[in-house]
Amino acid sequence: MLFRILKNSFLKRPKAVFLVFLSIAMGAAVATAFLGIAGEVSHKMALELRSYGANILLEPSAVEGGGFLREEDLPKIKTVFWKYNITGFTPYLFGIAEFSAGGKKERGVVSGTWFARQLEVPGEDPSVQGIKGIAPWWEVEGRWPEAADESIVGAALAKRLNVVPGGDVTTTVRGRTQQLRIVGVVTTGGYEEEQLFAPLVTVQSLLQQQGKISRVLVSALTVPMDDFGKKDPATMSKDEYEKWYCTAYVTSVAKNVEEVMAGSRAKPIWQIASAEGALLKKLNSVMLLLTVLALGASATAVSTSLMASMAERSPEIALMKAVGADRLQISAIFVGETLIISVAGGIVGYLLGDQLAGIISRTVFNSPISSPLWLFPTAIISAFAVAIAGSVAPLRRALLIEPVRVLKG
Amino acid sequence: MHRRRWLLQLVLRALAHRKGRTVLLLAVLAMASSLATALGIVSYSMEKQVAGEVRKYGANLIIIPQSARLDVGSGGLNFGVITEPAYLQQREVEDTLARSGLKAERSFHLRGALHWKDADLMVDGVNFTDIRRLFPWWQLKGNWPATGETVVGSDLATRLKLKPGDTMELVGKAQTVRLRISGIVSSGGEEDGLLFLALPELQQALGLDGQLTLVRLMVTAGDESLKKRADALQLLLPSAKVNEVRQTARTSEGLLAKVKLLMFMVTAVVLVSAGSSVAGTMSTTVLERGKEIGLMKAMGGTRWEVMLIFCGEAAMLGFLGGLAGYLFGSAIAQFITRTVFSASAEFIPWFAGISLGVSLFLALLGSVGPMISVFKLDPVRSLRGE
Repeated sequence: MLFRILKNSFLKRPKAVFLVFLSIAMGAAVATAFLGIAGEVSHKMALELRSYGANILLEPSAVEGGGFLREEDLPKIKTVFWKYNITGFTPYLFGIAEFSAGGKKERGVVSGTWFARQLEVPGEDPSVQGIKGIAPWWEVEGRWPEAADESIVGAALAKRLNVVPGGDVTTTVRGRTQQLRIVGVVTTGGYEEEQLFAPLVTVQSLLQQQGKISRVLVSALTVPMDDFGKKDPATMSKDEYEKWYCTAYVTSVAKNVEEVMAGSRAKPIWQIASAEGALLKKLNSVMLLLTVLALGASATAVSTSLMASMAERSPEIALMKAVGADRLQISAIFVGETLIISVAGGIVGYLLGDQLAGIISRTVFNSPISSPLWLFPTAIISAFAVAIAGSVAPLRRALLIEPVRVLKG
Repeated sequence: MHRRRWLLQLVLRALAHRKGRTVLLLAVLAMASSLATALGIVSYSMEKQVAGEVRKYGANLIIIPQSARLDVGSGGLNFGVITEPAYLQQREVEDTLARSGLKAERSFHLRGALHWKDADLMVDGVNFTDIRRLFPWWQLKGNWPATGETVVGSDLATRLKLKPGDTMELVGKAQTVRLRISGIVSSGGEEDGLLFLALPELQQALGLDGQLTLVRLMVTAGDESLKKRADALQLLLPSAKVNEVRQTARTSEGLLAKVKLLMFMVTAVVLVSAGSSVAGTMSTTVLERGKEIGLMKAMGGTRWEVMLIFCGEAAMLGFLGGLAGYLFGSAIAQFITRTVFSASAEFIPWFAGISLGVSLFLALLGSVGPMISVFKLDPVRSLRGE
């Protein structure tokens, strides 16, 4: 009986059912899309902000300058406690050299570095480390070096030496010479334009500093500094220190990296680190508020559409009462109807919202999104809950009506 | 005239007669249009606020003498450049900046060496009020300096065992200055190895009155790309090099575009889905009124007239909903910008047009759509209740 009533209620008034279904599906879609991206958006924005460049600088701890770090320690950076927060790092070895090309001579800085180097660390996923990853603002005209004798040169230095990609530069350090082929010219508007960048091994042998590096730039995902993070770790109690160490402040990640690089000290680059924290905090709270707003709006939309559709059905209810239906039966019919529509709407809405979240993530961040598993049941249950909430008030009113008066019109 | 008043009467009565339904529809329409208003205002002011936030990454344009080497950037890559001194004329730069009409914050720098005990120290002559605006990331232990005081970079301070309160006597080419250390700065960048003092004091000590080695500019983001502005400024300053600091400039431009796109997509998704849901609710209420339409037709109303009555009703609801939505939405936007950016949202009157438009559009869409199918009804059948 109940089943037959439900079946006919759907089949005889398809338009009305469809409209309620549409409302619920759309509401569920907004909710799913928002919940899906809200969690990811702060992570994606944090990654996005990493394109401002490295936020931790590792240098030899000797204050006098000079001194070196060991290249063999580098892979350990991928094994530290905060390894998943470290998005990239690049070692540098630099020295003063004489450059000559086509009869022109210049003194300048030669930097050995990694451009995009495949790094295999036992027990960790292989990764690509180097300038290409941590300094996306570098504008390279030509291409990045691949062979050991290829290099890229800063735009200002290139202008003075009058070299273009394809040319050769002879680099001399204390009598040792190395012929380097220029494959690219880099424009950055900073120090880099005055330097010549060659693969690390080449510069190490040129400077006779095998296995040594002079600096490492590390790019790490961090949380904004708060009052606790600003405290000096040296004055902390043991518990406080543990809490500090286990929070991804830029200072604690720096400390973490410093521990694995022998003879190093790590400094946060505050220009990058401090602005990043503030910006991230604000973007996150905007997203949070917008999510609350969108969830509230979709809940209102769904429950009002249920209200609207229920309110017009008093004659139907009156008739049911007149033929002897009790309150329980009437409620069962309407709750059953709502259940079916909202589960169907919830599923469609979930699929739609999932797609929407994917589209947003792909267009804005160029990366796919994986929506969490709990979202599916949540979407359907909340669609149902909201729909029920919307139909309670009109149902109560409907149950109170006197059949005689309604049927008389 | 008479007829028009009659129509109005009919619409108003119809709305007043079914108060519950009217209030419900008004609420949904107001909700949808306040959503549109709030999201619109938030994305609009978000762009400005984020543009303000990325300023904290520092200067995005620099001016250096034509022959000088580039010596700026964020920590790490300043491996000591070998430079022969070259200078900019402070007066010329100031005049040009005033003439170019460029909206920018600026900070003047003069880099030089002063002799202390038996070593040469790299010193930077700056204007400390500019520094506080353009270098918000400086971590200063101690106080900002007054006249006759200096700030020392943290690495330099450790190396030379200096602490706040110490007095130094620095020998320049032209004069000797006595300075008291008021604070220690650490930034993780080149600042850690420098000593800072007031620009005029350094200019006098070095005998370089009115000369600069570097000007940093922070140009407010606008429609024009920074590259174009740099080129325009370059034309006015032939004796200098104007460089775009790509690390901050390009990254900020990219970030702003992303934030804008994200807000746009979010707004579009919410509006389309909430909108169709609202139009659906609106349609539900019209669908149930077949009897009424049948009666009107039976009394001799043409399709056009019936349509007019229903559209009038929808328009009235839409208008009121839009008005309420604008007020409510502005309040929400105000709340969001207040909590997040601690700045009040701009009052943007033309958003009232948008919220009215959204609400009217949804109301009409929701009632005209189903009416077309209701028109096909035979009045006799719908009156009989079939």
